[in-house]
Amino acid sequence: MTSFHVKKVVRGIVEAQLLVNPGSFSFLGDIDLENAEIIVRTSPNRGTSIAGKILVIEDSKGSSGGALVLQTLKKIGKAPAAIVTVKAADFNLTEAAILYAVPYASHLNINDFRALENGKTACLDLERNLLILRD
Amino acid sequence: MLNGKYGEDAAIAIDYIIQLGEAFDAKKLVDIVYCHYPAEMSIYKGNVEDGCDFAATGAKIRISTTSSTLAVDVEKPGITEAPQALIDLQQKVVDAHRSMGILETYTCTPQHLGFIPPFGSYTALVESSAIIYYNSVLGVRTNRGGLLTRYSAVCGKYPLMGYLLDDNRKGTHLFNVNIADEKMQTSDAWSALGFHIGKIAGSEVPVINGIKTFNQEFLLSFGATLATSGSVTLFHLIGVTPEAPSLQQAFQGAKPKETHVVEWTDLEKVYQEQNTLKQGDPVDFVTLGCPHYTLPQLQLTAEKLKGKKIAEGVRFWICTNRMTRKQAEYSGFVKTIEQSGAKVVADTCPVESHMRQSTCREFGLEVPNIKAMVCNSGKMLRYVGDLIGCKVALTDFDACIASAISGKLVQKLNISK
Repeated sequence: MTSFHVKKVVRGIVEAQLLVNPGSFSFLGDIDLENAEIIVRTSPNRGTSIAGKILVIEDSKGSSGGALVLQTLKKIGKAPAAIVTVKAADFNLTEAAILYAVPYASHLNINDFRALENGKTACLDLERNLLILRD
Repeated sequence: MLNGKYGEDAAIAIDYIIQLGEAFDAKKLVDIVYCHYPAEMSIYKGNVEDGCDFAATGAKIRISTTSSTLAVDVEKPGITEAPQALIDLQQKVVDAHRSMGILETYTCTPQHLGFIPPFGSYTALVESSAIIYYNSVLGVRTNRGGLLTRYSAVCGKYPLMGYLLDDNRKGTHLFNVNIADEKMQTSDAWSALGFHIGKIAGSEVPVINGIKTFNQEFLLSFGATLATSGSVTLFHLIGVTPEAPSLQQAFQGAKPKETHVVEWTDLEKVYQEQNTLKQGDPVDFVTLGCPHYTLPQLQLTAEKLKGKKIAEGVRFWICTNRMTRKQAEYSGFVKTIEQSGAKVVADTCPVESHMRQSTCREFGLEVPNIKAMVCNSGKMLRYVGDLIGCKVALTDFDACIASAISGKLVQKLNISK
Protein backbone atom coordinates (compact mmCIF):
# COMPACT_ATOMS: atom_id res chain seq x y z
CA MET A 1 0.00 0.00 0.00
CA THR A 2 1.53 3.31 -1.08
CA SER A 3 1.04 6.41 1.03
CA PHE A 4 2.17 10.02 0.75
CA HIS A 5 2.70 12.65 3.43
CA VAL A 6 0.52 15.77 3.40
CA LYS A 7 -0.19 18.57 5.89
CA LYS A 8 -3.68 18.90 7.36
CA VAL A 9 -5.39 22.21 6.61
CA VAL A 10 -9.00 21.22 7.30
CA ARG A 11 -9.76 18.02 9.24
CA GLY A 12 -11.44 14.88 7.93
CA ILE A 13 -11.03 11.33 6.63
CA VAL A 14 -12.45 10.48 3.23
CA GLU A 15 -12.13 7.75 0.61
CA ALA A 16 -12.80 8.60 -3.04
CA GLN A 17 -11.45 8.59 -6.58
CA LEU A 18 -8.53 10.88 -7.36
CA LEU A 19 -8.85 13.68 -9.90
CA VAL A 20 -5.33 14.92 -10.56
CA ASN A 21 -5.18 18.26 -12.33
CA PRO A 22 -1.76 19.71 -13.17
CA GLY A 23 -0.97 23.41 -12.82
CA SER A 24 -2.67 26.18 -10.93
CA PHE A 25 -6.41 25.88 -10.45
CA SER A 26 -9.01 28.57 -9.91
CA PHE A 27 -12.36 27.60 -8.38
CA LEU A 28 -13.66 30.87 -9.80
CA GLY A 29 -13.76 30.46 -13.57
CA ASP A 30 -12.36 26.95 -14.06
CA ILE A 31 -15.51 25.04 -13.03
CA ASP A 32 -19.07 24.94 -14.35
CA LEU A 33 -21.36 25.97 -11.50
CA GLU A 34 -24.20 23.60 -12.46
CA ASN A 35 -22.49 20.27 -13.08
CA ALA A 36 -19.08 20.86 -11.40
CA GLU A 37 -17.25 19.99 -14.64
CA ILE A 38 -13.84 21.45 -15.29
CA ILE A 39 -14.36 23.92 -18.13
CA VAL A 40 -10.99 25.66 -18.44
CA ARG A 41 -9.50 25.00 -21.88
CA THR A 42 -5.97 24.41 -20.61
CA SER A 43 -6.97 21.45 -18.39
CA PRO A 44 -6.44 17.85 -19.59
CA ASN A 45 -9.49 17.01 -17.45
CA ARG A 46 -11.82 19.37 -19.29
CA GLY A 47 -15.35 17.93 -19.15
CA THR A 48 -14.67 15.85 -16.01
CA SER A 49 -16.71 16.64 -12.90
CA ILE A 50 -14.92 17.27 -9.60
CA ALA A 51 -18.05 16.25 -7.63
CA GLY A 52 -17.26 13.58 -5.03
CA LYS A 53 -13.59 13.33 -6.08
CA ILE A 54 -10.40 14.00 -4.18
CA LEU A 55 -9.27 16.98 -6.24
CA VAL A 56 -5.46 17.06 -6.35
CA ILE A 57 -3.93 20.29 -7.70
CA GLU A 58 -0.57 21.99 -7.57
CA ASP A 59 -1.86 25.36 -6.44
CA SER A 60 -5.14 27.23 -6.10
CA LYS A 61 -5.30 30.80 -7.34
CA GLY A 62 -6.21 33.23 -4.62
CA SER A 63 -9.45 34.87 -5.74
CA SER A 64 -11.86 35.29 -2.86
CA GLY A 65 -14.65 34.36 -5.29
CA GLY A 66 -13.35 30.78 -5.12
CA ALA A 67 -14.87 30.46 -1.65
CA LEU A 68 -18.32 31.33 -3.03
CA VAL A 69 -17.88 28.72 -5.76
CA LEU A 70 -17.14 26.02 -3.19
CA GLN A 71 -20.18 27.24 -1.24
CA THR A 72 -22.38 26.92 -4.35
CA LEU A 73 -21.05 23.42 -5.20
CA LYS A 74 -21.71 22.27 -1.66
CA LYS A 75 -25.28 23.56 -1.79
CA ILE A 76 -26.05 21.68 -5.01
CA GLY A 77 -24.36 18.52 -3.74
CA LYS A 78 -21.48 18.70 -6.24
CA ALA A 79 -18.55 19.64 -4.03
CA PRO A 80 -15.31 17.66 -4.23
CA ALA A 81 -14.86 15.03 -1.49
CA ALA A 82 -11.56 16.66 -0.54
CA ILE A 83 -8.87 19.03 -1.82
CA VAL A 84 -5.12 18.32 -1.86
CA THR A 85 -2.53 20.87 -3.00
CA VAL A 86 1.23 20.87 -3.51
CA LYS A 87 1.62 24.50 -2.46
CA ALA A 88 0.52 26.11 0.82
CA ALA A 89 -3.18 26.51 1.62
CA ASP A 90 -5.21 29.32 0.09
CA PHE A 91 -6.67 31.56 2.79
CA ASN A 92 -10.16 32.18 1.42
CA LEU A 93 -10.59 28.62 0.18
CA THR A 94 -9.61 27.37 3.63
CA GLU A 95 -12.39 29.41 5.23
CA ALA A 96 -14.94 27.88 2.84
CA ALA A 97 -13.55 24.36 3.34
CA ILE A 98 -13.85 24.71 7.14
CA LEU A 99 -17.39 26.05 6.90
CA TYR A 100 -18.56 23.32 4.53
CA ALA A 101 -16.48 20.51 6.06
CA VAL A 102 -14.42 19.71 2.97
CA PRO A 103 -11.17 17.98 4.08
CA TYR A 104 -8.23 19.96 2.74
CA ALA A 105 -4.51 19.08 2.75
CA SER A 106 -1.45 20.97 1.51
CA HIS A 107 2.27 20.31 0.98
CA LEU A 108 1.99 17.16 -1.12
CA ASN A 109 5.49 16.56 -2.55
CA ILE A 110 5.63 17.51 -6.25
CA ASN A 111 7.18 14.14 -7.19
CA ASP A 112 4.39 12.35 -5.32
CA PHE A 113 1.91 14.59 -7.18
CA ARG A 114 3.40 13.45 -10.52
CA ALA A 115 3.18 9.79 -9.46
CA LEU A 116 -0.59 9.97 -8.81
CA GLU A 117 -2.99 8.54 -11.39
CA ASN A 118 -6.42 9.82 -12.25
CA GLY A 119 -9.32 7.58 -11.30
CA LYS A 120 -7.47 5.52 -8.66
CA THR A 121 -9.18 5.23 -5.30
CA ALA A 122 -7.40 6.77 -2.33
CA CYS A 123 -8.01 7.56 1.31
CA LEU A 124 -7.14 11.00 2.62
CA ASP A 125 -6.58 10.54 6.35
CA LEU A 126 -5.92 13.88 8.01
CA GLU A 127 -5.68 12.43 11.48
CA ARG A 128 -2.48 10.80 10.25
CA ASN A 129 -1.62 13.38 7.55
CA LEU A 130 -1.52 10.72 4.84
CA LEU A 131 -2.87 10.22 1.35
CA ILE A 132 -3.12 6.43 1.03
CA LEU A 133 -3.58 4.69 -2.35
CA ARG A 134 -5.94 1.70 -2.42
CA ASP A 135 -5.16 -1.45 -4.52
CA MET B 1 -16.57 28.87 25.14
CA LEU B 2 -16.15 25.64 23.18
CA ASN B 3 -18.20 23.71 25.77
CA GLY B 4 -21.27 25.88 25.24
CA LYS B 5 -21.05 27.90 28.45
CA TYR B 6 -21.50 31.12 26.45
CA GLY B 7 -24.21 29.71 24.20
CA GLU B 8 -24.36 27.21 21.37
CA ASP B 9 -23.73 29.86 18.71
CA ALA B 10 -20.45 30.89 20.37
CA ALA B 11 -19.40 27.23 20.70
CA ILE B 12 -19.98 26.56 16.99
CA ALA B 13 -18.28 29.81 16.02
CA ILE B 14 -15.15 29.26 18.08
CA ASP B 15 -14.79 25.72 16.72
CA TYR B 16 -14.53 27.20 13.20
CA ILE B 17 -12.08 29.87 14.34
CA ILE B 18 -9.91 27.26 16.10
CA GLN B 19 -9.85 25.24 12.86
CA LEU B 20 -8.79 28.36 10.98
CA GLY B 21 -5.95 28.91 13.45
CA GLU B 22 -4.86 25.28 13.17
CA ALA B 23 -4.83 25.47 9.36
CA PHE B 24 -2.25 28.26 9.51
CA ASP B 25 -0.33 27.13 12.62
CA ALA B 26 -1.49 30.05 14.81
CA LYS B 27 -0.21 29.77 18.40
CA LYS B 28 -3.36 31.13 20.06
CA LEU B 29 -6.61 33.03 19.64
CA VAL B 30 -6.89 36.72 20.53
CA ASP B 31 -9.84 38.97 21.38
CA ILE B 32 -10.94 41.20 18.53
CA VAL B 33 -12.69 44.53 19.05
CA TYR B 34 -14.42 45.10 15.72
CA CYS B 35 -15.71 43.14 12.76
CA HIS B 36 -16.80 44.18 9.24
CA TYR B 37 -19.07 41.48 7.92
CA PRO B 38 -19.72 40.40 4.29
CA ALA B 39 -23.40 41.25 3.78
CA GLU B 40 -25.13 38.54 1.80
CA MET B 41 -25.85 39.74 -1.71
CA SER B 42 -28.89 38.91 -3.84
CA ILE B 43 -26.78 38.63 -7.01
CA TYR B 44 -25.13 35.45 -5.64
CA LYS B 45 -27.42 32.41 -5.69
CA GLY B 46 -28.28 31.15 -2.22
CA ASN B 47 -26.23 33.84 -0.49
CA VAL B 48 -29.16 35.74 1.08
CA GLU B 49 -30.85 32.48 2.13
CA ASP B 50 -27.59 31.43 3.78
CA GLY B 51 -27.49 34.64 5.83
CA CYS B 52 -31.14 34.34 6.81
CA ASP B 53 -30.68 30.67 7.82
CA PHE B 54 -27.74 31.67 9.96
CA ALA B 55 -29.75 34.42 11.68
CA ALA B 56 -32.61 31.94 12.22
CA THR B 57 -30.30 29.77 14.34
CA GLY B 58 -30.48 32.59 16.89
CA ALA B 59 -26.80 33.50 16.51
CA LYS B 60 -25.84 36.87 18.00
CA ILE B 61 -22.72 38.91 17.46
CA ARG B 62 -20.66 39.72 20.56
CA ILE B 63 -18.53 42.64 19.36
CA SER B 64 -19.22 45.81 17.37
CA THR B 65 -19.98 44.60 13.82
CA THR B 66 -20.82 46.48 10.63
CA SER B 67 -21.86 45.11 7.25
CA SER B 68 -20.41 45.48 3.77
CA THR B 69 -22.15 46.47 0.52
CA LEU B 70 -25.35 45.04 -0.97
CA ALA B 71 -26.51 44.53 -4.56
CA VAL B 72 -29.35 47.05 -4.22
CA ASP B 73 -29.89 50.48 -2.64
CA VAL B 74 -32.26 49.03 -0.06
CA GLU B 75 -33.13 52.41 1.45
CA LYS B 76 -34.22 53.89 -1.91
CA PRO B 77 -34.85 50.74 -3.97
CA GLY B 78 -36.27 52.58 -6.98
CA ILE B 79 -33.15 54.65 -7.53
CA THR B 80 -31.03 51.95 -9.22
CA GLU B 81 -33.59 50.37 -11.58
CA ALA B 82 -32.86 46.95 -10.06
CA PRO B 83 -35.35 44.13 -10.84
CA GLN B 84 -38.06 43.90 -8.15
CA ALA B 85 -37.20 40.25 -7.38
CA LEU B 86 -33.63 41.26 -6.57
CA ILE B 87 -34.86 44.09 -4.33
CA ASP B 88 -37.30 41.84 -2.46
CA LEU B 89 -34.63 39.21 -1.89
CA GLN B 90 -32.02 41.74 -0.82
CA GLN B 91 -34.36 43.35 1.73
CA LYS B 92 -34.54 40.06 3.63
CA VAL B 93 -30.96 40.44 4.89
CA VAL B 94 -31.82 43.65 6.71
CA ASP B 95 -34.04 41.81 9.21
CA ALA B 96 -31.51 38.99 9.46
CA HIS B 97 -28.74 41.45 10.33
CA ARG B 98 -30.90 43.30 12.85
CA SER B 99 -31.80 40.06 14.64
CA MET B 100 -28.11 39.15 14.90
CA GLY B 101 -27.12 42.63 16.08
CA ILE B 102 -25.14 43.60 12.97
CA LEU B 103 -25.23 47.33 12.27
CA GLU B 104 -26.68 48.06 8.85
CA THR B 105 -23.94 50.23 7.38
CA TYR B 106 -23.77 48.50 3.96
CA THR B 107 -20.56 50.17 2.92
CA CYS B 108 -17.00 49.49 1.79
CA THR B 109 -15.72 52.39 3.95
CA PRO B 110 -16.87 51.85 7.57
CA GLN B 111 -13.87 53.89 8.77
CA HIS B 112 -15.63 57.02 7.53
CA LEU B 113 -18.60 56.25 9.78
CA GLY B 114 -16.58 56.34 12.96
CA PHE B 115 -15.62 52.69 13.36
CA ILE B 116 -12.03 53.41 14.26
CA PRO B 117 -10.55 51.18 16.97
CA PRO B 118 -7.28 52.32 18.56
CA PHE B 119 -3.90 51.83 16.86
CA GLY B 120 -2.68 48.24 17.15
CA SER B 121 -6.16 46.73 17.79
CA TYR B 122 -6.99 43.29 16.47
CA THR B 123 -10.03 43.10 14.17
CA ALA B 124 -11.55 40.81 11.52
CA LEU B 125 -12.65 42.58 8.36
CA VAL B 126 -13.78 41.86 4.83
CA GLU B 127 -13.63 44.26 1.83
CA SER B 128 -10.13 44.72 0.46
CA SER B 129 -10.27 48.53 0.27
CA ALA B 130 -11.34 48.81 3.91
CA ILE B 131 -8.82 46.18 5.04
CA ILE B 132 -5.85 47.97 3.48
CA TYR B 133 -6.97 51.35 4.93
CA TYR B 134 -7.35 49.96 8.47
CA ASN B 135 -4.03 48.12 8.32
CA SER B 136 -1.99 50.86 6.67
CA VAL B 137 -3.47 54.26 7.52
CA LEU B 138 -4.97 53.46 10.95
CA GLY B 139 -2.54 50.74 12.08
CA VAL B 140 -5.54 48.56 13.04
CA ARG B 141 -4.60 44.92 12.42
CA THR B 142 -6.64 42.59 10.20
CA ASN B 143 -6.24 39.84 7.62
CA ARG B 144 -8.34 39.52 4.47
CA GLY B 145 -11.46 37.94 5.91
CA GLY B 146 -13.74 35.53 4.09
CA LEU B 147 -16.73 33.33 4.85
CA LEU B 148 -15.71 32.74 8.48
CA THR B 149 -15.76 36.44 9.36
CA ARG B 150 -19.29 36.16 10.77
CA TYR B 151 -18.10 33.51 13.22
CA SER B 152 -15.37 35.87 14.44
CA ALA B 153 -18.15 38.37 15.14
CA VAL B 154 -20.13 35.74 17.06
CA CYS B 155 -17.28 34.53 19.28
CA GLY B 156 -15.20 37.72 19.35
CA LYS B 157 -11.98 35.80 18.63
CA TYR B 158 -9.48 35.41 15.80
CA PRO B 159 -6.26 33.35 15.43
CA LEU B 160 -3.06 35.30 16.08
CA MET B 161 -1.61 35.00 12.58
CA GLY B 162 -0.90 36.83 9.34
CA TYR B 163 -1.02 40.63 9.55
CA LEU B 164 -1.82 40.50 13.26
CA LEU B 165 1.84 39.60 13.84
CA ASP B 166 4.61 42.26 13.89
CA ASP B 167 6.88 40.18 11.70
CA ASN B 168 4.40 40.06 8.80
CA ARG B 169 3.92 43.84 8.93
CA LYS B 170 7.43 44.75 7.90
CA GLY B 171 7.96 46.26 4.46
CA THR B 172 9.29 44.01 1.70
CA HIS B 173 9.50 46.15 -1.47
CA LEU B 174 10.72 49.76 -1.69
CA PHE B 175 9.16 52.15 -4.22
CA ASN B 176 10.96 55.49 -4.63
CA VAL B 177 8.43 57.83 -6.23
CA ASN B 178 9.96 60.51 -8.42
CA ILE B 179 6.84 62.53 -9.27
CA ALA B 180 6.15 66.21 -8.58
CA ASP B 181 3.57 66.85 -5.83
CA GLU B 182 1.39 68.99 -8.11
CA LYS B 183 0.71 65.96 -10.34
CA MET B 184 -0.57 63.99 -7.35
CA GLN B 185 -3.43 66.29 -6.30
CA THR B 186 -6.32 64.09 -7.52
CA SER B 187 -7.76 60.72 -6.44
CA ASP B 188 -7.27 59.19 -9.89
CA ALA B 189 -3.54 59.98 -9.83
CA TRP B 190 -3.22 58.13 -6.51
CA SER B 191 -5.32 55.33 -8.04
CA ALA B 192 -2.91 55.10 -10.97
CA LEU B 193 0.04 55.00 -8.56
CA GLY B 194 -1.68 52.19 -6.65
CA PHE B 195 -2.39 50.32 -9.88
CA HIS B 196 1.26 50.46 -10.94
CA ILE B 197 2.74 49.52 -7.54
CA GLY B 198 0.14 46.81 -6.85
CA LYS B 199 1.04 44.97 -10.05
CA ILE B 200 4.68 44.76 -8.94
CA ALA B 201 4.09 44.19 -5.23
CA GLY B 202 1.56 41.35 -5.63
CA SER B 203 0.80 40.09 -2.12
CA GLU B 204 3.90 41.66 -0.51
CA VAL B 205 4.16 44.80 1.68
CA PRO B 206 5.19 47.84 -0.41
CA VAL B 207 6.91 50.83 1.19
CA ILE B 208 6.42 54.11 -0.66
CA ASN B 209 9.00 56.86 -0.29
CA GLY B 210 9.48 60.29 -1.86
CA ILE B 211 5.86 61.39 -1.91
CA LYS B 212 3.38 62.29 0.83
CA THR B 213 -0.27 63.05 1.30
CA PHE B 214 -2.42 63.46 4.39
CA ASN B 215 -5.62 63.59 2.32
CA GLN B 216 -7.78 60.68 3.53
CA GLU B 217 -9.58 60.35 0.19
CA PHE B 218 -6.29 60.05 -1.73
CA LEU B 219 -5.07 57.39 0.71
CA LEU B 220 -8.38 55.57 0.31
CA SER B 221 -8.12 55.54 -3.52
CA PHE B 222 -4.48 54.53 -3.38
CA GLY B 223 -5.09 51.59 -1.05
CA ALA B 224 -8.21 50.39 -2.86
CA THR B 225 -6.30 50.16 -6.13
CA LEU B 226 -3.20 48.53 -4.58
CA ALA B 227 -5.56 45.84 -3.31
CA THR B 228 -7.10 45.27 -6.74
CA SER B 229 -4.18 45.34 -9.19
CA GLY B 230 -2.26 43.26 -6.65
CA SER B 231 -3.53 41.64 -3.48
CA VAL B 232 -1.77 44.09 -1.19
CA THR B 233 -3.15 44.05 2.38
CA LEU B 234 -0.77 46.55 4.00
CA PHE B 235 1.38 49.42 2.69
CA HIS B 236 3.65 51.91 4.39
CA LEU B 237 3.92 55.53 3.21
CA ILE B 238 7.04 57.06 4.74
CA GLY B 239 6.30 60.04 6.96
CA VAL B 240 2.54 59.48 6.77
CA THR B 241 1.33 56.05 7.88
CA PRO B 242 1.82 55.25 11.58
CA GLU B 243 4.18 52.29 11.29
CA ALA B 244 6.49 54.13 8.89
CA PRO B 245 8.00 57.27 10.46
CA SER B 246 11.27 56.24 8.75
CA LEU B 247 12.48 53.69 6.18
CA GLN B 248 14.31 51.88 8.95
CA GLN B 249 11.10 51.46 10.94
CA ALA B 250 8.98 50.52 7.91
CA PHE B 251 11.36 47.67 7.08
CA GLN B 252 11.91 46.84 10.79
CA GLY B 253 15.64 47.13 10.17
CA ALA B 254 15.65 44.63 7.28
CA LYS B 255 16.73 45.32 3.70
CA PRO B 256 14.11 45.59 0.92
CA LYS B 257 13.78 42.47 -1.23
CA GLU B 258 13.38 44.73 -4.26
CA THR B 259 13.73 48.45 -4.97
CA HIS B 260 11.86 50.24 -7.77
CA VAL B 261 11.73 53.82 -9.03
CA VAL B 262 8.32 55.16 -10.09
CA GLU B 263 8.09 57.97 -12.67
CA TRP B 264 5.08 59.91 -14.01
CA THR B 265 5.41 57.94 -17.27
CA ASP B 266 4.58 54.75 -15.31
CA LEU B 267 1.29 56.34 -14.25
CA GLU B 268 0.59 57.59 -17.78
CA LYS B 269 0.97 53.99 -18.95
CA VAL B 270 -1.80 52.94 -16.55
CA TYR B 271 -4.20 55.42 -18.20
CA GLN B 272 -3.04 54.51 -21.71
CA GLU B 273 -3.14 50.73 -21.23
CA GLN B 274 -6.29 50.45 -19.11
CA ASN B 275 -8.52 53.04 -20.79
CA THR B 276 -10.59 51.52 -23.56
CA LEU B 277 -12.19 54.86 -24.53
CA LYS B 278 -10.72 57.79 -26.41
CA GLN B 279 -11.19 61.54 -25.94
CA GLY B 280 -14.61 62.49 -27.36
CA ASP B 281 -16.06 58.94 -27.41
CA PRO B 282 -19.74 58.84 -26.35
CA VAL B 283 -20.32 57.73 -22.73
CA ASP B 284 -23.55 56.55 -21.10
CA PHE B 285 -22.43 56.11 -17.48
CA VAL B 286 -20.31 58.11 -15.04
CA THR B 287 -19.33 56.80 -11.58
CA LEU B 288 -17.91 58.67 -8.62
CA GLY B 289 -17.64 57.05 -5.20
CA CYS B 290 -15.45 53.97 -5.54
CA PRO B 291 -14.71 53.45 -2.69
CA HIS B 292 -17.85 55.06 -1.24
CA TYR B 293 -17.72 58.85 -1.21
CA THR B 294 -17.18 60.87 1.96
CA LEU B 295 -19.27 63.88 2.99
CA PRO B 296 -16.71 66.49 1.81
CA GLN B 297 -16.55 64.72 -1.57
CA LEU B 298 -20.35 64.93 -1.88
CA GLN B 299 -20.14 68.59 -0.91
CA LEU B 300 -17.63 69.25 -3.70
CA THR B 301 -19.72 67.26 -6.19
CA ALA B 302 -22.78 69.35 -5.32
CA GLU B 303 -20.80 72.58 -5.81
CA LYS B 304 -19.61 71.45 -9.24
CA LEU B 305 -23.06 70.28 -10.38
CA LYS B 306 -24.97 73.32 -9.12
CA GLY B 307 -27.07 74.72 -11.96
CA LYS B 308 -25.73 72.14 -14.44
CA LYS B 309 -27.61 69.39 -16.35
CA ILE B 310 -26.36 65.89 -17.14
CA ALA B 311 -26.49 64.98 -20.84
CA GLU B 312 -29.49 63.04 -22.17
CA GLY B 313 -28.89 59.28 -22.02
CA VAL B 314 -26.15 59.49 -19.37
CA ARG B 315 -26.61 57.80 -15.98
CA PHE B 316 -24.43 59.43 -13.31
CA TRP B 317 -24.10 57.57 -9.99
CA ILE B 318 -22.34 59.06 -7.00
CA CYS B 319 -22.03 56.14 -4.58
CA THR B 320 -21.84 56.46 -0.81
CA ASN B 321 -23.31 54.87 2.30
CA ARG B 322 -26.74 55.64 3.72
CA MET B 323 -25.52 57.63 6.74
CA THR B 324 -23.38 59.91 4.62
CA ARG B 325 -26.30 60.35 2.22
CA LYS B 326 -28.52 61.32 5.17
CA GLN B 327 -25.99 63.95 6.24
CA ALA B 328 -25.74 65.16 2.66
CA GLU B 329 -29.53 65.44 2.57
CA TYR B 330 -29.49 67.67 5.69
CA SER B 331 -26.91 69.89 4.05
CA GLY B 332 -28.80 70.14 0.77
CA PHE B 333 -26.08 68.42 -1.28
CA VAL B 334 -28.31 65.55 -2.44
CA LYS B 335 -31.00 67.93 -3.73
CA THR B 336 -28.45 69.96 -5.71
CA ILE B 337 -26.95 66.80 -7.20
CA GLU B 338 -30.36 65.35 -8.09
CA GLN B 339 -31.41 68.61 -9.78
CA SER B 340 -28.60 68.04 -12.27
CA GLY B 341 -29.98 64.58 -13.13
CA ALA B 342 -27.27 62.68 -11.22
CA LYS B 343 -28.11 60.23 -8.42
CA VAL B 344 -26.66 59.75 -4.95
CA VAL B 345 -26.78 55.97 -4.56
CA ALA B 346 -26.25 54.23 -1.20
CA ASP B 347 -25.59 50.64 -0.05
CA THR B 348 -24.19 49.47 -3.42
CA CYS B 349 -22.13 50.41 -6.51
CA PRO B 350 -22.23 49.55 -10.25
CA VAL B 351 -20.09 46.38 -10.07
CA GLU B 352 -21.97 44.99 -7.05
CA SER B 353 -25.37 45.68 -8.63
CA HIS B 354 -27.83 44.11 -11.07
CA MET B 355 -25.74 45.57 -13.91
CA ARG B 356 -23.35 42.61 -13.76
CA GLN B 357 -23.54 40.65 -17.01
CA SER B 358 -24.59 37.39 -15.32
CA THR B 359 -27.43 39.11 -13.42
CA CYS B 360 -28.60 41.02 -16.52
CA ARG B 361 -28.85 37.73 -18.43
CA GLU B 362 -30.81 36.13 -15.61
CA PHE B 363 -33.37 38.96 -15.55
CA GLY B 364 -33.53 39.56 -19.29
CA LEU B 365 -31.96 43.03 -19.05
CA GLU B 366 -29.82 44.52 -21.79
CA VAL B 367 -26.25 43.09 -21.88
CA PRO B 368 -24.01 44.93 -21.40
CA ASN B 369 -26.14 47.26 -19.31
CA ILE B 370 -23.55 50.00 -19.74
CA LYS B 371 -21.71 50.71 -23.01
CA ALA B 372 -19.05 53.18 -21.90
CA MET B 373 -18.23 54.26 -18.34
CA VAL B 374 -16.10 57.12 -17.06
CA CYS B 375 -14.76 56.95 -13.48
CA ASN B 376 -11.99 58.32 -11.27
CA SER B 377 -11.19 55.03 -9.52
CA GLY B 378 -8.57 52.44 -10.44
CA LYS B 379 -10.59 49.80 -8.61
CA MET B 380 -13.71 50.48 -10.69
CA LEU B 381 -11.53 50.60 -13.82
CA ARG B 382 -10.19 47.12 -13.05
CA TYR B 383 -13.58 45.45 -12.52
CA VAL B 384 -16.17 46.97 -14.88
CA GLY B 385 -14.65 45.58 -18.07
CA ASP B 386 -15.04 41.95 -16.95
CA LEU B 387 -18.06 42.16 -14.67
CA ILE B 388 -20.25 44.59 -16.61
CA GLY B 389 -18.64 44.13 -20.03
CA CYS B 390 -18.38 47.81 -20.92
CA LYS B 391 -15.63 50.10 -22.14
CA VAL B 392 -14.13 52.31 -19.44
CA ALA B 393 -11.90 55.31 -18.88
CA LEU B 394 -10.07 56.57 -15.79
CA THR B 395 -9.91 60.31 -15.49
CA ASP B 396 -10.03 62.99 -12.79
CA PHE B 397 -13.01 64.31 -10.84
CA ASP B 398 -13.41 67.49 -12.92
CA ALA B 399 -13.25 65.50 -16.15
CA CYS B 400 -15.85 63.02 -14.82
CA ILE B 401 -18.25 65.92 -14.23
CA ALA B 402 -17.46 67.41 -17.65
CA SER B 403 -18.00 64.00 -19.31
CA ALA B 404 -21.39 63.62 -17.62
CA ILE B 405 -22.47 67.06 -18.82
CA SER B 406 -21.24 66.64 -22.40
CA GLY B 407 -22.03 62.92 -22.80
CA LYS B 408 -18.54 62.43 -24.23
CA LEU B 409 -15.25 61.42 -22.64
CA VAL B 410 -13.29 64.45 -21.48
CA GLN B 411 -9.81 63.20 -20.65
CA LYS B 412 -7.83 64.88 -17.87
CA LEU B 413 -5.47 67.60 -18.94
CA ASN B 414 -2.05 66.43 -17.79
CA ILE B 415 -2.02 63.04 -19.52
CA SER B 416 -0.16 63.01 -22.83
CA LYS B 417 -2.35 61.61 -25.61
